[in-house]
Amino acid sequence: MEKVTDLTPVARPKTAAPWSRKSPQFVLYASLASIVPAAVALGTIALTGMDFMAALFIVFLPLQIVAAALVGITVYGRRGILEGLLVVATIFLSSFVFVLLGSVIWSVISNGFSALSASFIFQNNYYIQPKTSLEFGGVGHSILGSLLIVGLSTIVTVPLGLATAVYLTETQGKSKGIIRTLLQAMSGLPSVVSGLFIYAMFIASGITTYAGWTGSLALIPLMLPTVARVTEEALRLVPVELRNGALALGAPAWRAFVQVTLPAAKSGIVTAILLGVARVIGETAPLVLTTFAADRTNLNPFEGAMGSLPTYLFNYIAFGFDESIQRAWGAALVILILVAILFISARVASRTRTKARK
Amino acid sequence: MSNLTYHLRAEDVNVWFGERHVLKNVNLAFPTNQVTALIGPSGCGKSTFIRTLNRMHELIPSAGFAGKVLLDDEDIYGDGIDPVKVRLNVGMVFQKPNPFPTMSIQENVLSGLKLSGRKNANNEELVETSLRRASIWNEVKDRLNDPALSLSGGQQQRLCIARSLAMGPKVLLMDEPCSALDPGSTRRVEETILELAPEMTIVIVTHNMQQAQRVADQTAFFLSEDGNPGHVVEFGATEQVFEQPIDPRTNDYVNGHFG
Repeated sequence: MEKVTDLTPVARPKTAAPWSRKSPQFVLYASLASIVPAAVALGTIALTGMDFMAALFIVFLPLQIVAAALVGITVYGRRGILEGLLVVATIFLSSFVFVLLGSVIWSVISNGFSALSASFIFQNNYYIQPKTSLEFGGVGHSILGSLLIVGLSTIVTVPLGLATAVYLTETQGKSKGIIRTLLQAMSGLPSVVSGLFIYAMFIASGITTYAGWTGSLALIPLMLPTVARVTEEALRLVPVELRNGALALGAPAWRAFVQVTLPAAKSGIVTAILLGVARVIGETAPLVLTTFAADRTNLNPFEGAMGSLPTYLFNYIAFGFDESIQRAWGAALVILILVAILFISARVASRTRTKARK
Repeated sequence: MSNLTYHLRAEDVNVWFGERHVLKNVNLAFPTNQVTALIGPSGCGKSTFIRTLNRMHELIPSAGFAGKVLLDDEDIYGDGIDPVKVRLNVGMVFQKPNPFPTMSIQENVLSGLKLSGRKNANNEELVETSLRRASIWNEVKDRLNDPALSLSGGQQQRLCIARSLAMGPKVLLMDEPCSALDPGSTRRVEETILELAPEMTIVIVTHNMQQAQRVADQTAFFLSEDGNPGHVVEFGATEQVFEQPIDPRTNDYVNGHFG
């Protein structure tokens, strides 16, 4: 007799894998358990005037723990207590970080937005006093200054960083260990020390007065380790089979590198440059010591003080008047926007034209 | 057998990686325009040996070499011989298909010219003949400008063969060219090998006994026993090696008793 097999598929139990999706019910309860205790604690502070630390330890923590354990018990039974605690802690702490990050960005946008105008972006600050109304003057000279100073550093740093990465990945050089240690040490270099060094060497010694190029010079040691290490990683990710393929076709090593390895690592190298730029575009201390600050547009990085966005922000927040603080917030927002534009355009430009298989 | 000429001859080839002696006194002569298979268990040095035929083993910094490899009676390890020039005459196809991901199909075929800094009068014709010889032309003729990675694994491997052929090598080395391919693609590659055989000397490393029997005129059996360096146990016509092996170890290996 033929045996009849039941072919109805059996649903895989939801708990089959530790990475299985949590049920919506559990997520809802856990989210409530993360938010409600914090809200209750804040409410208690508002109503009774309780001390913040007291509220944290007497109201918030016990409530949170009990709520988390309850969520675990309702959904999974007694063995769910630890699960409930961990999930609630994860949701609470990660939303805490997001709130912090979001509030930083939001405070820059909300405070800086009112300062933004065509004149603020395109005009320079010549003839402007700290208390001058925001209708006049702007950060145009600082935007140009920042771009020039950072651009000049980038022009010098990228070939240096690339050469370092090539030495570390493509050659059999004997000093690799020393170079790596030096790069690591360099990435821990405080930016103010770099600025001070350049100041002492070129400005205090009388070789030059404040000038844009000294600022660029001070930024190079800050940018180089990032560019070199990220480029090294990008080159290392290119499969050795590709290099071998090129060499087996009779390519000299340098052609194999330029025509095969480099294009394959292109997007990683763009990332390296971006991270390098991002590392230095907000640097204030080395620029205060080397390029100083200027209110006039100066397009010659080899002569005279040069304005830049971070030094502009630094100066105007120090004046302490309402108008000047407003200008500082505006400058902060301009830095954020500038970085965003740089990142997006570099990402778009480096998009590889080859598509993966469908 | 007496009227055979030999394109490529290995004489007393020895290889070391650091202190470790991995190949000892390998003497093999590869007859012109025939296919020679190198078989043997993993780690017996056959892949290392095939790399000594175009000096690719030198890319491993600790590699040491002694012996001679004669390509048309000229020692490719001789004084003043540039390994880069050697590789122009001895093409190589690897285990894993490795088309250049940033290039199109057509650019991949021409990449050898570009990489070696050569010029060619008629690129279009070269692309077509190379792809035809690698029997992939009909599959790609309408999309020569598509990225090479849009091809299937088997097509990528034949593209790599076409890329080597475009350089007009006298000898083609293949290091387990089918080990990453499915049976259908393997058959296509084997057909390609048989079509190429009358016009070039082919050396192929394979783990697949049937493959060796299907494509090879001669077969060499490599073995490395008890930590001793790898060496050639038996070398002869494929039929003889598989059906009447002289050495009992060859018999055990080809009949699947070990390896």
